[in-house]
Amino acid sequence: MTAYVVQRLLLMLVTLFAIITLTFFLMHAVPGGPFTSEKMLQPEIQAALNAKYHLDDPLWLQYLNYLRGVLSLDLGPSFKYAGMSVNEIIAEGLPVTMKTGALALICVVALGVPLGIVAALNRNRWPDTLVMVIATIGVAVPSYVIATVALYVFALRLGWVPTFGLDDWRGYFLPVFALSGFWISFIARLARSSLLETLQQDYMMTAKAKGLKRGTVLFKHGLRNSLIPVVTVLGPVVANLLTGSFVIEQIFALPGIGRHFVLSITNRDYTAIMGITIFYAAVLMVMIFIVDMLYLVLDPRIKYRADAK
Amino acid sequence: MSTPLLSVSNLSTSFFTSRGEVKAVRGVSFELRAGEILGIVGESGSGKSITCMSLMGLLRSSGRVIDGSALFEGRDLLTLDEDELSALRGNDISMIFQDPMTSLNPTLTVGEQVIETILRHRKVTRAAARARAIELFELVRIPSAAKRLRSYPHEFSGGMRQRVMIAIALACDPKLLIADEPTTALDVTIQRQILALLKELQGRLGMAVILITHDLGVIAETADRVLVMYGGMVMEEGPVRELFARPSHPYTRGLLASIPDLRDDTHHRLTPIPGSPPDMLRPPKGCPFAPRCAHAMAQCNAALPPLYDAGPVHRARCWLHHPQAPRVAGITAELVPA
Repeated sequence: MTAYVVQRLLLMLVTLFAIITLTFFLMHAVPGGPFTSEKMLQPEIQAALNAKYHLDDPLWLQYLNYLRGVLSLDLGPSFKYAGMSVNEIIAEGLPVTMKTGALALICVVALGVPLGIVAALNRNRWPDTLVMVIATIGVAVPSYVIATVALYVFALRLGWVPTFGLDDWRGYFLPVFALSGFWISFIARLARSSLLETLQQDYMMTAKAKGLKRGTVLFKHGLRNSLIPVVTVLGPVVANLLTGSFVIEQIFALPGIGRHFVLSITNRDYTAIMGITIFYAAVLMVMIFIVDMLYLVLDPRIKYRADAK
Repeated sequence: MSTPLLSVSNLSTSFFTSRGEVKAVRGVSFELRAGEILGIVGESGSGKSITCMSLMGLLRSSGRVIDGSALFEGRDLLTLDEDELSALRGNDISMIFQDPMTSLNPTLTVGEQVIETILRHRKVTRAAARARAIELFELVRIPSAAKRLRSYPHEFSGGMRQRVMIAIALACDPKLLIADEPTTALDVTIQRQILALLKELQGRLGMAVILITHDLGVIAETADRVLVMYGGMVMEEGPVRELFARPSHPYTRGLLASIPDLRDDTHHRLTPIPGSPPDMLRPPKGCPFAPRCAHAMAQCNAALPPLYDAGPVHRARCWLHHPQAPRVAGITAELVPA
């Protein structure tokens, strides 16, 4: 088991290295650079900037230098925000993103799973239909539409919540709603179908035939088995929510890191692209690792062994 | 004779599907005395499992008991509410199923699955329930019982899992054990072990058993009395010896003729029953077996035969037993020595 964990951690480092390498060379293969703009800079200024940021070095040297930085956890200076390092950009945006992301995650788990259960237990009756109609809309309608409509209705028309920012606690409502809407719907549908499948299993009949009370049958025997697929998708969902959303942060003017994800690319802000990609990849891999470890708790049939190759 | 432990009369169960009403069980009646083993035999869809599921209140949601009564120790099982029924299930009446590979919860230890049953029905401490679970594992001969309590189902073979299921079923000393094809999913040698174990435990604990199977060989070895079901009805019933010696319904005769006989070295082919079971969405007006029966007469398609006496405790649902029916060798009582 320990051997397996060590193996997994090493594998994560190898994956991260591959992602860094691939992103680095792909990024440099795209025409243009951080200092390209419509307003042509004077060649001397361009050269000076390139020299300052070592962009005139051969690519392999830049790559090695960058790797050295990453190894010492320094993601380099931002090319676009003068005087700010990528570490600082992440450190500044992360708390905002994490806070909204964590709230959204709580909503996803606290609403998605119970809604799925209610739907499954009332299969083909009105609560099921209601949940499924809402969940289908939630999955189908893009989050920016939900965000814009919610903003118009609740902030502008009704004035219950502020239109932007998080200074007021009420400011969290709409971004969290818009962020979690899709995943609540997704998880509700998944939990429903998974529970319905579990309810058909022979061991559920056994549990009933033993005379166990309805609640025990459902929660002790049914739920645990049906949550395995839900936990599987929750890993990537956590990674997705905690790294923020460009659209939502843009619409609600939140100073998170989600927007940097997209802005850094249009800006050709090389170090920011690299840094945020590495950050996202690391969070995703850690979450998937945690999910794999959770399987051990949920399903005793799963045992991990390090490959003896 | 003492009052029976279970007395089922005119039980009828239907499934209400989008295609219409499927009449799975049509007026089944039988009695079961304490300590007796009753075999119910029939092919898939004959209504044998649905009969028992109806008694246990374990029908899937589209199924409903539409008529009949089932007196168990003076209480009608069919009128009990879910709370009363669940207090009986696993306690006075317990059940084991066909496939031990899927009947146990894969994510709980087998010990927990026994212990939770005991704790549900008995006011005992967890430690006492655990001690009882060890006792039960020893009873069904699971080696190193105390250690195996902590194992999960996937760590057991099929035969061992069925032993766990039996241990769960026996946890609260049931008066009636319903075994629904308990050996069908097991290989032959394990089948014999499980049957022998069931029979031995039945003798030792004195409970009544309903053994559902499609295998007449299993019935012959285990049961005291047999119900032969077809098309949701009882076709023939009687003591095992009597029924095997003098099958009084053409269907029973067909079943017996289709059993391979290993001692027979003449290499002739098995005798199958031609045709297929009736469509229970539109059950025939007459005898459900008539379309496949070699002896069918006009009367058979016209009306459903009643259960005729074929002996003192032996009855068969066949028009051939009508006083005016033609005599058929081997089926009609008059032609065999009483």
